[in-house]
Amino acid sequence: MIGALICQIVLSIALATIFLFRPSLTSGTGWKIVAFIGLCVLPALCLIGGMNLHVQRSETTRFCTSCHVMVPYGRSLAIDDAAHLPAQHFQNHRVPADKACYSCHADYGIYGPLNDKMRGLTRLYLQYVSTAPDPAAIRIPGGFKNAQCLHCHQGARSFEENPIHTAMMDSLKSEQVSCLGSGCHDAAHDIANLSHQKFWNPGK
Amino acid sequence: MKAPKINSLRLLQISSGILILGLILEVVTLLWFHPLSFVLFAFVAAALIGLGILIYLAALALVAAPPDRQS
Repeated sequence: MIGALICQIVLSIALATIFLFRPSLTSGTGWKIVAFIGLCVLPALCLIGGMNLHVQRSETTRFCTSCHVMVPYGRSLAIDDAAHLPAQHFQNHRVPADKACYSCHADYGIYGPLNDKMRGLTRLYLQYVSTAPDPAAIRIPGGFKNAQCLHCHQGARSFEENPIHTAMMDSLKSEQVSCLGSGCHDAAHDIANLSHQKFWNPGK
Repeated sequence: MKAPKINSLRLLQISSGILILGLILEVVTLLWFHPLSFVLFAFVAAALIGLGILIYLAALALVAAPPDRQS
């Protein structure tokens, strides 16, 4: 996809270069149409294609962990411990491995993608303009919502038939009890103790 | 009648220049895998491309405008 988009951009640049040096060509009807395609239609398509690609790319695990403060969080996905929730999801492909961060941290609300991008821009500002936070001190504003878990797990047989889940389903749905903070699934991204952890190596 | 024609050609050149700059920047951001590339694309490349398209449309409007009665 990126190859096709770059070809389209190169074609657009070539056409724009023609009109940069020979704008008088547009006096002919045929060239008027070419100018419209080269200076309006193609650049608009390049803009839409570029935005689409950048948005898709920003959802990848590689993108999230390319920020310095997120490196330990990326490393925590390889912790060799079945009780460690993010690692268990990542290693067993319970979430797409290439979109591991996004799958659990995306806001699935109507303005979710926009909110996510605004939050991401705030973090970029902190990273490059203000003071970068300590990775271990990063907290999700308002805490991790159960809705993120229920987005996938609600309706799943193994989740619905679990007697503990059944007993507290209403509390879970109303966010009165947190999936992570209730003593059930509280091992998530244990950044502070990363140096003491054993890591899974898929190659071995 | 002549003055708007010259202006529209100049606008066409400006539009082409801005578009080329924006599109080159877009290629750079596509090849650079970094969170900042998203910012560079969204705030600089996209703005330049959008501006280039607007200037081209302004040039079109200038050509299509009815001739001034005084000229």
